[in-house]
Amino acid sequence: MSAARFDDGSRPGAGGVPTSSGSSFATGDAGTSAAAADVASATVAMDAGVNGGTATAPDAVTLGHVPALRIELRALSLGHRQVLHPLSLAPAPRAWTAIVGPNGAGKSTLLRAIAGLLPFDGTLTLDGKPWQAWPAKARARQVAWLGQNEAASEDLTAYDIAMLGRLPHQPWLAPASAADHAAVEHAMRQTQSWDWRDRALGSLSGGERQRVLLARALAVHSGVLLMDEPLAHLDPPHQSDWARIVRGRVAAGGAVVSVLHELNVALQADTLVVMDGGRIVHQGPPHDPTTHDALQRVFHHRLLILQVQGRWVALNA
Amino acid sequence: MKSMGPLGRAALSLATLVLTATSAVAAPITIQDDRGHTVTLPDVPRRIVSLLPSLTETICELGDCAKVVGVDRFSNFPASVQKLPRLGGLDDTSIEALVALKPDVVVAGVSARVIDRLEGLGLRVLALEPKSMNDVQRVLGKMGRLLGKEDDARRLWNRVGGHIAQSAATLPPAARGLSVYYEVDAGPYGAGTASFMGEILARLGAKNIIPAELGPFPKLNPEFIVRADPQVIMVGQRNAAGLPQRPGWSAIRAVKQQRICVWVPAESDVLVRPGPRMSEAAALMARCLREAAQGPVAWPTTPFNAPPGGMR
Amino acid sequence: MRAKSAPSAASAASAASARTAAQFVALLVLGAVLLALGLAIGSLGWSPWTEAGDTMRLILWDIRAPRSLGAWLAGALLALAGAVAQGLFRNPLADPYLLGCSAGASLGVAALLFVMGISPAAALALRVGMTGAAFVGAIGAVLLTLVLARGVTQSLRLLLAGVVVGVVLGSGAALLTLMNPDILRAMQAFMLGSTGYVGWSAVQVMAVALGLCLLTALGCSRTLDALTLGEDTARSLGQRLTLIRLLLIATLSLATGAAVAQCGLIAFVGLVAPHLVRSWGPTTHGALLLLSALTGGALLLAADIAARWVIAPQELPVGIITALLGGSYLLWLMHRRKAHFGGAGGSQ
Repeated sequence: MSAARFDDGSRPGAGGVPTSSGSSFATGDAGTSAAAADVASATVAMDAGVNGGTATAPDAVTLGHVPALRIELRALSLGHRQVLHPLSLAPAPRAWTAIVGPNGAGKSTLLRAIAGLLPFDGTLTLDGKPWQAWPAKARARQVAWLGQNEAASEDLTAYDIAMLGRLPHQPWLAPASAADHAAVEHAMRQTQSWDWRDRALGSLSGGERQRVLLARALAVHSGVLLMDEPLAHLDPPHQSDWARIVRGRVAAGGAVVSVLHELNVALQADTLVVMDGGRIVHQGPPHDPTTHDALQRVFHHRLLILQVQGRWVALNA
Repeated sequence: MKSMGPLGRAALSLATLVLTATSAVAAPITIQDDRGHTVTLPDVPRRIVSLLPSLTETICELGDCAKVVGVDRFSNFPASVQKLPRLGGLDDTSIEALVALKPDVVVAGVSARVIDRLEGLGLRVLALEPKSMNDVQRVLGKMGRLLGKEDDARRLWNRVGGHIAQSAATLPPAARGLSVYYEVDAGPYGAGTASFMGEILARLGAKNIIPAELGPFPKLNPEFIVRADPQVIMVGQRNAAGLPQRPGWSAIRAVKQQRICVWVPAESDVLVRPGPRMSEAAALMARCLREAAQGPVAWPTTPFNAPPGGMR
Repeated sequence: MRAKSAPSAASAASAASARTAAQFVALLVLGAVLLALGLAIGSLGWSPWTEAGDTMRLILWDIRAPRSLGAWLAGALLALAGAVAQGLFRNPLADPYLLGCSAGASLGVAALLFVMGISPAAALALRVGMTGAAFVGAIGAVLLTLVLARGVTQSLRLLLAGVVVGVVLGSGAALLTLMNPDILRAMQAFMLGSTGYVGWSAVQVMAVALGLCLLTALGCSRTLDALTLGEDTARSLGQRLTLIRLLLIATLSLATGAAVAQCGLIAFVGLVAPHLVRSWGPTTHGALLLLSALTGGALLLAADIAARWVIAPQELPVGIITALLGGSYLLWLMHRRKAHFGGAGGSQ
């Protein structure tokens, strides 16, 4: 839990992205909340025990109250097949929870159940109140969802797509307020999609599109962020960007739950939820040997888990 | 010949007489129908199937109603043909039933799809479709040849023409020269000068608002009729209902003065069939013109009751 | 830097809305021009109202004005319905008739024409009239589709049910026509569409329908935008999908039913108008619905003018002209798009 540093001496928070690319996160936000950032990063370094990313400045969003999300599931069936068996999960605030497991383990299904998108036998509560008891918009302000392979209209501009993330905050038919514009711009700059905000989504590449969709999810400014395969189409620098954004959110107090195929990115999370065959096999921090055992079990011992320059990586054996 | 006695010579001349007599009776009939096909029959047909109401009426007018063994579903005049087997329309003729009747010849309209099939099955088909008055004369002539009654056919044509001329002559002067709009169907489709109804109207001295260059049954802009401002409107009972309420039509003279002649289905039957009942058609239109000249024309009181299967 | 960028974000949005406002005004002007042209085309072709006499002018006011206005309103209704359908089902090939509206209207009209020959019901049939029958048929078909799909929750089931209802009711109409071939010509006139008998009362009905449907659809436009991200995301953004779907389907049915009842089945306007608007640049659904309505109105009015003008005093069915106009523009659009984008933005 020491403030790990890479061999080249650069701060982990800025790792992988040169500041000259104009990332406003590194230059702008840190300037306004420098003092708070230092305190926050120190707190993060001690509390979350993030593996290697301890000195992350928090995302410059005010999240307000972050609700406690909890699922107690008895069974979930799709068609006639029972996909999820009894399990329970309560993603902690100020933490990044990564759900991992082999294909068909039910990761996406579990995430969708937590997002209230799939009916199941069990209870889903937000701050102790059942999911259905929440008014839809209030709920939408607390929990944001980014789906896998999201379809999107080819005809809307990237800006309009990102602005859709502000819907939970906008009264019926009200035009976008200054706060909405600011939130969208901030989110788009974070994902480095600001430059093509006026282009139609259909004219963007897969990676560019994914970053716009990610900005949409970030613009909601919700306490809980649920993301299913958010790294699809993203190249390594942008994958690191994503990890950085997540850690920033976590530092600002949010809870992030992601379903990831990329184990190497998942191993940077605060908590790993290992799933297999519709059950949660293990929950724990990534540096814990029991977590490594669980990973090896579900992946049939075909992994080589080792620490490289202070970070845990999983290689194909 | 020298070796024959007077008895042999008498027998020979008798035989020749009989031969010529029978050959005259058994002479083959050759007719070119409206498709341009030449149809040859060995003899006057004894069993006829008719798939067009006007042709049915023609055969019956020429006195050979007994020879008709099957008709289409629209043939309903004279009453005796209503008891005959009905073989469907032009597009859905029951071919099996038709062939089972073993007709010598089938007479049908030119647009019947069934003709090729019937000819493929070895039946003789005569395709005739009268659309104008000239057509009726021609078709009458051909049917006369078919039935071996060419003189009768000619006499029938003259009779019909005479009746039409009589209807025209007995029109009072006030009923002559009225401008008329004949609506054939909702659309609005009008009967032009080139159509059958248009020809009868012309013979009766009426002025058709639809000029000849628009064809027999043009689909008009309703404004055209309003502009033309006919004095008399003739329309079938089916389409008569909403006619005065059409936008702008209340300004037409015929609507203002209630000179709309509404044909009940029995009358429509006569008016749409170019056939031997043309004289009746002319009489109906003459009656309409006469009534219109005298004042408002009453609408039929019986509610519209279409014959099952439709009219043709 | 953030102080400078906030105006640029707002200015990006306002640039888009300025463009939308310009398109709105341009379409209104186009509509007005076409309306003036429509008043000048009569049964003799070009006959501007300045030339006609006083009494004739009054008659033409009773005929040409409501007809042209009615054509514009019907086009607007169909285009609005088409835009709603395309947004609701996220399918660019959706048109206003996909829930069985057209087949239902045909069946209603066929049944009316058929029943008019059976005397006891004839009086009732006369009261209902062809417009009433078409409207009832259209709405009834949509209700039947909703029942078959057991609600509005599943788009695919709705679409399939719509196809089934369309085919079955269409065969019903065909059967009635076969049983009584007299109604064939009237049915054909209905199927190909015509504004021939549109009077001021019809214009009023369509105007009220357009106002209602436009307001409702605009109210649901944000949800349509959210739906482009998929149902799950839309729901996660707090949108009440079932309620909005019901409202939009009701809007779709009302708009289509009103247009079809007065003017018959006019093809292509509902399909093409939203595509035309989309081809002028990316738009959110709020702008798309409004601009589609204006575009559809102009399209149908132009087609109606052409139908009246080309072979005056005869009239072509307006549906044929809309198919020609709309179809050829779509073809050109497809040709142009293929040249531009090649493989459609999939490179990385």
